[in-house]
Amino acid sequence: MGRYALQRLLGVIPLLFVVSVVVFMFIHLIPGDPARLIAGKEATLEEINGIREQLGLNNPLWQQYIDYMGRLFHGDLGNSIRSGLPVSDMLATRVMPTIWLTLFSMGWAVIMGVFIGIISAINRNKWPDHVGMITAISGISIPGFWLGLVLIQIFSVELGWFPTGGVDSWSSYVLPSLTLGAGIMSMLARFSRTSMLESMREDYIRTGRAKGLHEFIVVGRHALRNSLIQVVTVAGLQFGFLLGGSVMVETVFSIPGMGRMLVDSIAFRDYTVIQALLLLFATEFILINLLVDLLYGVLNPKIRFDSK
Amino acid sequence: MRFKGKAWGMLMLLMIVTVVAAACSSNSGNSGSTTPGKTENTGTKAPAGSKNGNNAIIAVNANFITLDPHNAGDTNSISAVRSMYEGLMGFDENMNLKPVLADSYTISDDGLVYTLKLKEGVKFHDGTDFNAEAVKVNIERIIDEKNNLRMRRSFSRVTKVETPDANTVVITLSEPYNAFLNKLAMGLMISPAALEKYGDKIGQNPVGTGPFKYKEWIEGDRLVVEKNADYWQQGLPKVDSLTFKPVPENGSRIAMLKTGEADFIYPMPTEQVNEVQNDSNIVIDKTDSTIVRYVTLNTMKKPFDDLKVRQAINYAINKDAFIKVVKSGLGTALDSTMSSKTQFYSKQEGYGYDLEKAKQLLAEAGYPDGFEAEIWGENDSETMKGMQFIAQQLSLAGIKLEVKAMEGATLSDQINSPKSPEEAKIQMWFVSWSPSSGDADGATRGLFSSEMFPPAGSNTAYYKNENVDKWIAEANRSTDAEKAKAIYSDIQKQIWGDAPWAFLAVDQAISGKRAYLDGVKVYPDGSINVLNAEVKQ
Repeated sequence: MGRYALQRLLGVIPLLFVVSVVVFMFIHLIPGDPARLIAGKEATLEEINGIREQLGLNNPLWQQYIDYMGRLFHGDLGNSIRSGLPVSDMLATRVMPTIWLTLFSMGWAVIMGVFIGIISAINRNKWPDHVGMITAISGISIPGFWLGLVLIQIFSVELGWFPTGGVDSWSSYVLPSLTLGAGIMSMLARFSRTSMLESMREDYIRTGRAKGLHEFIVVGRHALRNSLIQVVTVAGLQFGFLLGGSVMVETVFSIPGMGRMLVDSIAFRDYTVIQALLLLFATEFILINLLVDLLYGVLNPKIRFDSK
Repeated sequence: MRFKGKAWGMLMLLMIVTVVAAACSSNSGNSGSTTPGKTENTGTKAPAGSKNGNNAIIAVNANFITLDPHNAGDTNSISAVRSMYEGLMGFDENMNLKPVLADSYTISDDGLVYTLKLKEGVKFHDGTDFNAEAVKVNIERIIDEKNNLRMRRSFSRVTKVETPDANTVVITLSEPYNAFLNKLAMGLMISPAALEKYGDKIGQNPVGTGPFKYKEWIEGDRLVVEKNADYWQQGLPKVDSLTFKPVPENGSRIAMLKTGEADFIYPMPTEQVNEVQNDSNIVIDKTDSTIVRYVTLNTMKKPFDDLKVRQAINYAINKDAFIKVVKSGLGTALDSTMSSKTQFYSKQEGYGYDLEKAKQLLAEAGYPDGFEAEIWGENDSETMKGMQFIAQQLSLAGIKLEVKAMEGATLSDQINSPKSPEEAKIQMWFVSWSPSSGDADGATRGLFSSEMFPPAGSNTAYYKNENVDKWIAEANRSTDAEKAKAIYSDIQKQIWGDAPWAFLAVDQAISGKRAYLDGVKVYPDGSINVLNAEVKQ
């Protein structure tokens, strides 16, 4: 598997190259002039041109791309066009809130989702199944924006248990994680229920029961493990999405994460920041995909990676 | 099993890396210790006293962009830098000019030479003296083309700065400029020693003479400034520190005010004002701002080239209803080309809501059945609501508007890419304007001078009137305030009559605060003044 992983990792490089070209072209071709947006509405033409010149925006696009990649290879992400701050410094404060939020949200969503899925599957069409699925459908249907504001009203304003937002303490993460994880938990509950039901119909389950294995082992070890493959696929994808930062949750809960950073930078056509973020997101996604593939092998030894 | 072991090993490695990375950066993202006086939340039954001690937390709606006072353009950054920096001149709460670091000033009869006496004994936060040399260094930094600072356009007429003695500065201009004192109020003074030390990084390391000293800035999360114990105004400041927090979501900002996590919020969401008005812990402050809202009418395009059509549009829109529907009742009708809080404002009469008169004017102009047109605006909810409202009002007069909401930067491109008035596609644009330094020039020239057609400026009505062009130049040259006022009054009257805009409303700056907090005020330009902040225990 080591060789397989290495091959996949090397495969990331051309992929990232393609991503960088697409991202660069896309950003520069959408309408909007960063120089004018930065200079403000009272700016003179001379001033705007001065900024364009300073930022190298008057050069041909291919040259701007080469300059950018040249700096990137030296580990320089450049400075934000809008604020002049080094993008790497900005990222340093923005990455961790998003990562924590992702880990907490995914953490409870996976545990609760799979738990509800299993309970629903083994109690199919009985009341725990109905309760579980109603919970799941509610979780998917409730708009996160609304849920966030409701949680703030109840738990911050009325009860005073948690702060309304920010990242000053660990308790700040409770409400945003609940908000962000709700939809994912629900999705995972439905997925794990379905795949559990499928697994439970398999021959080896019948064999297990016939052997007189305890139901707990039949469900917990044999059925669950097999059905987890689908769950891991879905969870992996969601994990990748969340690492891109959730604009909605970060906005509602005033979390200085990457989602808000991306939206702010797009509004001002802050090319360097957008590029850095999109490349980072692409890298994260590719790595998580790789990790998910490797996990398949752990869950199901029949899936092997090394050819003879 | 060997395979499985390896995979688990990789997983463990990943987890370790994550945890180590987290530990390394936890102080940047998650430390709770740096928020001053932060205590546990005690809920709605909390006593009315501050839970933040003798510190104040101010929540605003967007990130701070830079703390370089010569390069700050957005309102929030300006509020932040003004807590730490001061200029030779400054504004009071009605945007009237007052000397701050200057003690007195004289202007030569030809309007070219400004002689300023400086306050003595003022020190920068780093302990160095504020003196004439410091003023010279700052102005020279601003006007240096290489630095390309935002403030340069305001000082472009400066030809030389002299320092006859340590407390006197003589600034010479290339041509008279009536608004120059306002511009001086925008040019805040940075410690020359700090400029030397930090260079380009001065935006992250502010050192001024203001009531508060820089403590920390975590981009996107918070900016903390602390009391300058050696401040030159005796007895100020009265709080130990201020924390500014960007909280973009309206609902969250108001929740912070309710829980006391924030002591002051700006802007206060208008739709929530009524809800908290009965809460004895919360006080709402309202003041007329310098922000005017209007629709530009492209005076070079049919049918807007006809004065009667433009006047008809002005009669057909009920401004009071506009304020009620779009601004939740918080605003005042726009009765000139600028807000009453802008220098040299002169009130105009007319354009009361009169649908019959509007129809009559349209008929006289040859459009008895109205016409079709496009109205442009940004795609935020309030702007879209405003455009829908205007479309509804004008439909009663027979004018059918197609509402086109666009993303800000795309819209800016649409407006600024045409190279000449003939190429311009703009018909109507629902937008707002606020002069950055409260001066009449800033509220007039960029919008109504014929030299300011896009892309050179913001005259998106393509308004051209030779008298107005001439008067603007005259007003700028005039050194006598009374004379300038008279000229600006003529300008406003002329433009009002010519109606290149549908004049709508003046925004109110609305802030909310906890009852125990005193002295924090939003000025008409939208900046937050914190000099007199006081927490009453």
